[in-house]
Amino acid sequence: MNPLLAQSVTQPSVDWHALAPELVMAGTACLVLVADLFLPRNAKWIAMPLSAAGIIGTLAAVVSLINTETTTLAGTFEVDAFSLLFKGLFCVLGLIILAISFHYFRAGSYYQGEYYFLLLCSLFGGLVIASARDLISLFIALELISIPGIVMVALRKGDARANEGALKFFLFSVLSSAVMLYGMSLVYGVTGSTILSEIRTSIGSGDEPLVVLSVFFVVVGFAFKISAVPFHFWAPDTYEGAPSPVAAFLSTASKIGGFVGLLVLMFKAFPEVADTWAPVFAVLAALTMTVGNLIALRQQHVIRLLAYSGIAQSGYILVCLALINPGNPDANEQAFAAAVIYLAIYGIMDLGAFAAAVAFARRGGTYFISDYAGLWQRSPVLALLFGGFLISLAGAPPMAGLIAKLFVFAATIEAEVYWLAIVMGVNTVIAAWYYLALIKKMFFETPELDEPVEVPYLLSAAMGIAAALLVALLVYPPLLTNLADRSIF
Amino acid sequence: MPEGYFGSYVTIGVFAVVGLVLVFGTLALTRLLRPNVPTRAKTLTYESGIDPIGTGWAQANVRYYVFALLFVIFDVEAVFLFPWATVFEDLGTQAFVEMVIFIGVLALALLYAIKKRVLEWL
Repeated sequence: MNPLLAQSVTQPSVDWHALAPELVMAGTACLVLVADLFLPRNAKWIAMPLSAAGIIGTLAAVVSLINTETTTLAGTFEVDAFSLLFKGLFCVLGLIILAISFHYFRAGSYYQGEYYFLLLCSLFGGLVIASARDLISLFIALELISIPGIVMVALRKGDARANEGALKFFLFSVLSSAVMLYGMSLVYGVTGSTILSEIRTSIGSGDEPLVVLSVFFVVVGFAFKISAVPFHFWAPDTYEGAPSPVAAFLSTASKIGGFVGLLVLMFKAFPEVADTWAPVFAVLAALTMTVGNLIALRQQHVIRLLAYSGIAQSGYILVCLALINPGNPDANEQAFAAAVIYLAIYGIMDLGAFAAAVAFARRGGTYFISDYAGLWQRSPVLALLFGGFLISLAGAPPMAGLIAKLFVFAATIEAEVYWLAIVMGVNTVIAAWYYLALIKKMFFETPELDEPVEVPYLLSAAMGIAAALLVALLVYPPLLTNLADRSIF
Repeated sequence: MPEGYFGSYVTIGVFAVVGLVLVFGTLALTRLLRPNVPTRAKTLTYESGIDPIGTGWAQANVRYYVFALLFVIFDVEAVFLFPWATVFEDLGTQAFVEMVIFIGVLALALLYAIKKRVLEWL
């Protein structure tokens, strides 16, 4: 045995309570996989209630950690208000996705147990990324989110579109990981540490070419993951080919995971060199919003429409990162809070819209926008809910989309970056066009079919809960804004 | 010798040039010196002295793919087990429990493979 080696290894102390949400989630994932192996074919659906119970258990563990601020695993894992807020959000999103998935995966002859196992693994990655405070755990968490996602996209093995979508997703994911890892290795080379707080103190000035290059590579890697323009090409094809609940997952939980990693990295490791990266985000944000919205105008397929609208929506969150200016801490805090608020509200309202699309396609099997004509006369409740989510995505009452946009606008004005405020304003109008066009189709055109769209209770409950949450947030925003204010780094 | 960070690239450049000259210079030299008498036996692909039969596109049985995947499971396990084994005496029971959990999770993958009957040949 080598004495030198033994000396260099020190056992980090482990705070098991701080890790409780992750442990519960990982345990549930393993349990679901094993249970699926032993369940008879007609009882495979039990994997879904098992997963739901696991997520609720995780949520309970998150709640038990409220008001704790601690780091463990030698400073690589931190529990604070920010991480707990996003862990809670991932649990809520996970539960809604389970509700959307249940009938979809039970009806088709899909691999149910494997699907729920992969979904839980991805959510586990989301939990870890909210707490990850060094480059290695950030990277592993990010991969843990996206790799099960690739397999979930490809679950319909025989479908050519699903295979195309999964392959594109895989190739873009690998490429972005490679670029990001290159950037991270440069960061390690410059600073000599992978711990974010140590990187922050030793990264030096933003004038050095190597620092600029490394930060730029890391940002490009993340831009692929969150499908920001011009790195967005994979998203619409992947969403269209994937089973719709998986598209809902990729568009919300997976994308939010990428943004959480970006926020952690930019605010924990690189705040001192914000001069170098804020302009990059300004360009990305303006491009993402504008291109996403303009292409969305021409979409005929509702999942593709939601995909492009999701791309445009991530532009607004990138705006918050573009506002950061080391000389103005108050405005920075406001921008950070706005990003957190936008992510939470976006996740819920986008999932609601996907749930409505899945509900509509369940019987008729169609995702084409022309088939939505006269939905109001066929199924008034579904039309009202879908309309509500779409108006919310456009940024108008009666749901919380308004609050999300309002906070980003306020932060932009506070930071005095007026040109981005103008770009956002113009984009909000463009986006309203295609959201309202779909609403006009649902409410003011005559239907070709008369029969109502049957919606299973679980899907109705998912949409109802999402809608109730959004209305509650509009009526009383402090529910979320207080949490966001406390989570500022 | 040139100085500084980018100066060291000159060294790399010299090595690259020398390497290229070695390879292509030798090839050019042999072309000048050797007689050129091609026969059929000489143009055959050389593979361990055995005459090549059939096309180069041989198909491997798709079952090997699953075995390759399973191999990765145990490969990863070994990668972590060896460094762990050199220090685990000093780290105590916690390290032991952690490794048991790790192997347990990998064993789940094996259990999955067995239950899905991918280990049965034919």
